[in-house]
Amino acid sequence: MSVSVLVVDNSPMARKMLVRALPPDWDITITQASSGAEALLHYRQGKVDVMFLDLTMPEMDGYQVLEALRREDLNCLVIVVSADIQEAAQARVLAMGAISFIKKPVDPERIRAVLKEYGLLV
Amino acid sequence: MTMEFISDDQRDALQEVANIGMGQAGASIARVLGEFVELSVPRISTVDAAGIPAALAALAGDGVASAVRQAFIGELRGEAIAIFSEHSAHDLAELLAYGDALDAPAGCELLLDIGNVLVGACLGGIAGLLRTEIGFSAPSLLADQVATSDLIQAETIAARCALLVEVRFGLEKRVFRCHLVMLMPEDALAALRRALDRFIEEF
Repeated sequence: MSVSVLVVDNSPMARKMLVRALPPDWDITITQASSGAEALLHYRQGKVDVMFLDLTMPEMDGYQVLEALRREDLNCLVIVVSADIQEAAQARVLAMGAISFIKKPVDPERIRAVLKEYGLLV
Repeated sequence: MTMEFISDDQRDALQEVANIGMGQAGASIARVLGEFVELSVPRISTVDAAGIPAALAALAGDGVASAVRQAFIGELRGEAIAIFSEHSAHDLAELLAYGDALDAPAGCELLLDIGNVLVGACLGGIAGLLRTEIGFSAPSLLADQVATSDLIQAETIAARCALLVEVRFGLEKRVFRCHLVMLMPEDALAALRRALDRFIEEF
């Protein structure tokens, strides 16, 4: 069965860059969200297996999304994809339940490695 | 005044490229200062020359600020202005353990140094993503503790109008704030548009 992937970023360009970097052999259905609030709507419909989440977004940022997800049992795997490459930012999101941090601009090999590590890709 | 300097796609690409440059700059000063740096979404606008002082004042907010200016040259060309909120130099001095030895010249040196790090990392990151080379002039002090409306004088701006890209850095537990603004004159924008189009085509 194909995996439901949600790509969350306020920038259409950033979403495009990420989608292009996903492994072509990964059986997925991709949905996109342009804000944190929109991401939570998709999540609450129960249709998200893996979420690629940006941090720096207007109104509701990635940290707030992670917090909301944690309050709601965090039923999906969150991979944070951010230009905020401070070590402290990476530590924070991992402590908040994200399984991994990938820096922008995204490296397709790094995504593949993370997906393999979590058994999402053989 | 409406100016169609760049298309929506170009604007979106520039915003994301600026976002990545800002992230690199934020990480650089986080390492130097040992503090968590807060970032915000880059903002892009177009202004005519006469409106630049007001635009800088609007983004810096009311009150007093200092500013450091650095020209950048290459395919991308313009001016980078780092605007520091009133007590920023004091915060930097504390974090870098200057103790009580901070006199006014030392405070200016700190702003020049940190401005230089931010501008170099942010614009260097942007240029790298756009696969172009960029060079910088030495930083100079543009304004020292003046009202934000007096940071720059309209008559010193050569361009008729300009594209303004703004990124912001703050420190979580301190008053330090820096707005980094890139001003690109109208006649430098054809090259920027070409560079953005190349970037967009890669994806």
